[in-house]
Amino acid sequence: MSLVKINIGPVHPSTHGLLRLVVTLDGDTIVNVEPHVGFLHRGVEKLAENRMYMQIPPFIEKCDYVAKMAMDEAYVATVEAAMGIEPNERAQYERVILLELQRIASHLLWLGAMLNDLGHFFSVFMWTFADRDKVLKLLEEATGQRMFYVNMRLGGLRQEFPKDFEYHALDVLTYLEKRINEYESFIENSSLFKERMYKVGVLSRDDAINLGVSGPVLRASGVNFDVRKDKPYYVYKKLNFKPIVLYNGDNFSRYKVRILEIKESIRLIREAFKQMPDGNATGMPIKLINPAPKNKVVRVSREGPRGEIMFYLVADEQRPYRLAMRTPAFINLAALNHIARGNKFANLFPIIGSLDLVMADVDK
Amino acid sequence: MLINELIEIIEYFIVMLITAFAFAYFFGWLERKFVGKFQRRHGPTYLGKFGLLQNLADFFKLLTKEQVWPKKADKLLFLVSVFLIAGFTLYLVMLLPIYNFYIINSSIILLLIFIILSFLPILIALNGYSSSNKFAMISAQRSILLLISFEIPLFLVLIAIGYYVHSYSIVSIVNAQSNLWFLFIMPIGFFVFLMALLAEMERTPFDLREADSELIAGWLTDTGAPYYMLALFVDYIRSFFGAAIISLLFLGGWYGPFGNSFIWLFIKTIFVALFIMFIRAIAIRMRIDRILYFGWIVLLALSIINLYLVYLGY
Amino acid sequence: MVRLIIDRKDLIDTISSFKKKGFSYLVKILGIDYIDYISVLYILRNLDSDEEIEIEVHLNQNDLWVPTIINIFKGADWYERELYEMFGIEIKGRKVRKLLLEKFSENIYPLRKSFKWGTK
Repeated sequence: MSLVKINIGPVHPSTHGLLRLVVTLDGDTIVNVEPHVGFLHRGVEKLAENRMYMQIPPFIEKCDYVAKMAMDEAYVATVEAAMGIEPNERAQYERVILLELQRIASHLLWLGAMLNDLGHFFSVFMWTFADRDKVLKLLEEATGQRMFYVNMRLGGLRQEFPKDFEYHALDVLTYLEKRINEYESFIENSSLFKERMYKVGVLSRDDAINLGVSGPVLRASGVNFDVRKDKPYYVYKKLNFKPIVLYNGDNFSRYKVRILEIKESIRLIREAFKQMPDGNATGMPIKLINPAPKNKVVRVSREGPRGEIMFYLVADEQRPYRLAMRTPAFINLAALNHIARGNKFANLFPIIGSLDLVMADVDK
Repeated sequence: MLINELIEIIEYFIVMLITAFAFAYFFGWLERKFVGKFQRRHGPTYLGKFGLLQNLADFFKLLTKEQVWPKKADKLLFLVSVFLIAGFTLYLVMLLPIYNFYIINSSIILLLIFIILSFLPILIALNGYSSSNKFAMISAQRSILLLISFEIPLFLVLIAIGYYVHSYSIVSIVNAQSNLWFLFIMPIGFFVFLMALLAEMERTPFDLREADSELIAGWLTDTGAPYYMLALFVDYIRSFFGAAIISLLFLGGWYGPFGNSFIWLFIKTIFVALFIMFIRAIAIRMRIDRILYFGWIVLLALSIINLYLVYLGY
Repeated sequence: MVRLIIDRKDLIDTISSFKKKGFSYLVKILGIDYIDYISVLYILRNLDSDEEIEIEVHLNQNDLWVPTIINIFKGADWYERELYEMFGIEIKGRKVRKLLLEKFSENIYPLRKSFKWGTK
């Protein structure tokens, strides 16, 4: 049987941005998938070497335009570590709340997009999009921006939470909890969904570790590693946090891990609101920044919605000497070939969807 | 004599054309509105009352687009197959009777309709093949896959109906339902028929041909705007046909309370169409390697059971 | 943060011995241009004890190559390709030698310090 090569993308309804895949097919079975990336490459790492420390967050956020807060926070935390600044406890709680809200928003968007990849005609997408909008409204209330927040400052946030924020947030969380349960029963009771998700795109535990995937993809394969638990930062130690681990490593596990993570995040935010002390979380103004110690090397890992975000910073006085990023989607995409091989062509897109790719995140 | 008959036929054609076009247009609007409501958004609102003119605007917009020819396409086959698909679909609609208003009342008309209907996937495959686009090619393969999976159950249901009525004339089939709809006489057959027709109409969960998240637009991927528009329109006409044939064969056609009238047929058609749209709004595309299983094991078994039950009950 | 500076010729042995010790997860491979030399860092993690280790190799500017570790960590594939593309560090022993992002131009490696920002 002769092999057929198909070029998918870079412009295609379900490549989540600009991803080009060259798929080799044997009949209807995938023999090889070769991702071609780089259509969104902006050279963020090089740009960072030529900017002052706090000029960098606005464009580092755009690396992951679905979970902006996570990127922003990871970078600012890296700079804080280099300068030896520790945010006060209230700021830590507020950051955790914002990060978890961001995670919910990101996962909700993913859920809709995933169902679209399965051939759903936008219904769940529209519903989750509307629900995500409620979360974005909350974030707007807290930060003043809807999409790109640039909200982190050294030692805290740009601004304190507004007065009623807690009530609004808890309202939205109650609503979201109800909705998530609805989605879960709506989606999982469908046998068509189960058929397309169970045992499709299996990634075994050893392969997941060897390929270096991270985040929900890793945890769906049965690896109990969550940066929030294993290398805890901020107040995650004080919160009663349990990482979500599932063991099948198929599409369904990857879906379920994210659904459960939304629930866990909702719980975490509630807990954080309860524990949050009074105080002032406002960080330093941008202009009042001391120079960082020269040649200090710091490495900071964070659990983003897509996986582990790691920044490696070699500090110079005013600007980074070298800022290396580990973006989660990059290495999750690298595992695509391994996961997709041997599957049917029609299953390729659910697998891509289940990896939760953001192409700007891949290309940097 | 002959002239009178000819005039009658032309009259019928014109009425059916207008009906089909009006319904296709109305379905286009209804689908956008209904699915929109289902998805918590408004659907078209801007042009005309309730956005009724939106589809017309889209129609004209597509007409103004440039026609791009795929370089390696077999142009003749490509063009001819699009028009053949359109022509055959319209011809299908022509064969439907509306109450006492029909063109042929032969006892084999139903078979003719479904032979033409099963010819459509082959034309679609031809079109996909001739455009020499790989997505269209896969779509063509899937079209054949659907054909071989669903034709036999579909025809077995038709045989059950024919056995029950002793005729394949749609008029007699509808008349046989004056007391009890076939939906209640052969519910299993109805299910099989509905599934097979969904596949025929490229509706979810069997929209493998046009799977937009996989194959971009399936066999229409390389089709230029005017022909795409034609294909889209034909798609709506096919929906109308599917809804109409279901209401004729299973829902009692023009029989209803307060006198029998074509209005009942229209109402039933709209309800069936709404049901199909509802399925579209909630269902996920079926796994491709399950289609054969579904067609050859589930549906075939069900249709044989249906046939046997009808035989027993008769 | 444990950092181990080793010689290039010991790289494969060191990494595979660490992998045997339980450092089975490759977090990242990255390069840093220190002008005198370019250092390549391999960050490994032990998923059980959550320990991390950085293995550093210093490369002379006129002798830029490292052996591939793709046989030890499959996940190193894209990192190595990125390393070659951004720093011009040749990865020896690889079968596939494709660029990851795009080829900008001949002999231009954007993350080296000699490549000034704003130039082409």
